[in-house]
Amino acid sequence: MTEALLLSLRVTAVALALAVAAGLPLALLLARGRFRGKSLLETLILLPLVLPPSVIGFYLLVAFGRSNPLARQAGLHLLFTWPAAALASAVVALPLMVQASRAAIAQVDPALERAARMLGSGEAEVLRRITLPLARRGILAGVVLAAARAFGEFGATLMVAGNIPGRTQTLPLAIYDAVQTGNLAAANGMVLLMTALSFASLWVVRRFETRAAFADRPAGGATPSPGGSGLPAGA
Amino acid sequence: MSQPRLHVDASRRLPALDLRVRLDLDTETLVLFGPSGAGKTTTLDMVAGLADPDAGEISLDGHTFFRRGAPGTAGGAPPVRVPARDRHVGYVFQQYALFPHMTALQNVMYPLGHTPAGRGQAGGAGRAARQARAHALLERVRLDGVADRFPRELSGGQQQRVALARALAAEPRLLLLDEPFSAVDAAVREHLQRDIAELQSELGLIVIYVTHRLEDAFALGHRIAVLREGRIEQVGPIAEVFRRPATAGVAEVMGIRNLLSVRVVAADAGELRLDWEGLELSAPPQPARVGDRALAYIRPEEVKLLYGDRPLSRSVAYNRFEGQVLRVLSGAGFREITVRLPNGREVDVRFPLLSYGALDLRPGVAVQLALRREALVLLGPG
Repeated sequence: MTEALLLSLRVTAVALALAVAAGLPLALLLARGRFRGKSLLETLILLPLVLPPSVIGFYLLVAFGRSNPLARQAGLHLLFTWPAAALASAVVALPLMVQASRAAIAQVDPALERAARMLGSGEAEVLRRITLPLARRGILAGVVLAAARAFGEFGATLMVAGNIPGRTQTLPLAIYDAVQTGNLAAANGMVLLMTALSFASLWVVRRFETRAAFADRPAGGATPSPGGSGLPAGA
Repeated sequence: MSQPRLHVDASRRLPALDLRVRLDLDTETLVLFGPSGAGKTTTLDMVAGLADPDAGEISLDGHTFFRRGAPGTAGGAPPVRVPARDRHVGYVFQQYALFPHMTALQNVMYPLGHTPAGRGQAGGAGRAARQARAHALLERVRLDGVADRFPRELSGGQQQRVALARALAAEPRLLLLDEPFSAVDAAVREHLQRDIAELQSELGLIVIYVTHRLEDAFALGHRIAVLREGRIEQVGPIAEVFRRPATAGVAEVMGIRNLLSVRVVAADAGELRLDWEGLELSAPPQPARVGDRALAYIRPEEVKLLYGDRPLSRSVAYNRFEGQVLRVLSGAGFREITVRLPNGREVDVRFPLLSYGALDLRPGVAVQLALRREALVLLGPG
């Protein structure tokens, strides 16, 4: 169990880093950009929320397997290693990261960004000193949700990384194994741990959201973010 | 005349408007006046660099901010587009746009890292200097006591002053104010107007002040530019523009009632005689030819009511008529009545609340009035 937990933490950390690194720019693009194909891009990013994990896993298998000449050329031997598990977790975590951050960034009044430009700031500084700080609660909510989702990833991980104890067996997979082999005591412990962690992260996100609705808004302009963190029903 | 400090010649097509603005400013406060939708804010945005003209040229103190060729204006010269952040123009927005996650002091400190004075000093010493400067600016707008409060903890007037201090912190030579007092009460507004007037002369600023309120225009402006449907219809000293609107459009925008459709029947050195749809009027000499059709106007304050039983003063010796009161309206400190004259037309009469106390002014009663001759102004062809 300790082994699975440590592996899960490692997979989650890497997955989260990937989801944030890709998710934040995408959120900015979707919140502030105006371009053709925007809703197409948004739909594609959100797709993992509704696709069965096995379908996502299948796509990843195709993308990184030997059948893909690009992956073969690049000498990628990703499949059935823990980085594959991290990649699968990142893909399913990305929509949560993007949705929560996009909503938070869209809430930042563009007039404030205009004011910062008038006061001598370039775009990078506007982002660093105005937009991101004002959207930080929503972004943090996205990070926590993405982490929780990555931590609990099961289906896609099973497809691309397998279920190799000590190598690719994360906590959710270990629970499945424990139940299959009738080791209910171990299953109980792990289930309790997962539940506690998930509960804690959701609770943190809720707190971010209720506070975000009152703080950081001009007087009289307190409006809860539309769609909140974009918490999907099945996350 | 020397080169104007700020030169604006810009056109931009908007969905509902074809904006074309020409302005030349020196060290002064210019009120950009007009109804909403006339293009006032877009004009400011173009000067600030937040919106680009389709064509034109904008320059400040010989430094070109924007230039894009259009036939006849800047043909041949290379296009220029200085981004907003490099124009060092102060802009106080209608909704303040204070940064909600920073205190009043931090808001004012925000641009200090960008000014020539603030940039050279890194580290703790620079920070202390910037802080001192921000405190001084807040003190200048009498707000040092609330330096550590967040914008949501400040009243509307205080937020407005923080926004002003923040704009000044960037050491602008040009300050743009977009309806800055639309959300503060009268007493606060008066205070702020005095602050801005003082700062303008103290710092030698060029100020463009956008408003649709005539009172603000009178309180602040040296000159006024009347913007109507995307065009500047008249520029001049405020009292002058108010007394002599150049067009019927300006008169309308400035809330001038009593537009009379007249024909010039006689013009000599001392007097202009007009036919106002059947009534004969006498006006002071003005450029006009016999037979011209024109619009004349007289401000409601210049229409005097007469007491039938008292001797007449010289100033109301002309243009006397009897009419019937149609409406009576009382405002704060004034009354206004509408009177129908024998030619079927109506004039508005406005006077202080306590004037004409002895007259019975109710709808339906007959009154004597005089259109003060000296105040009868001929506008362009109507």
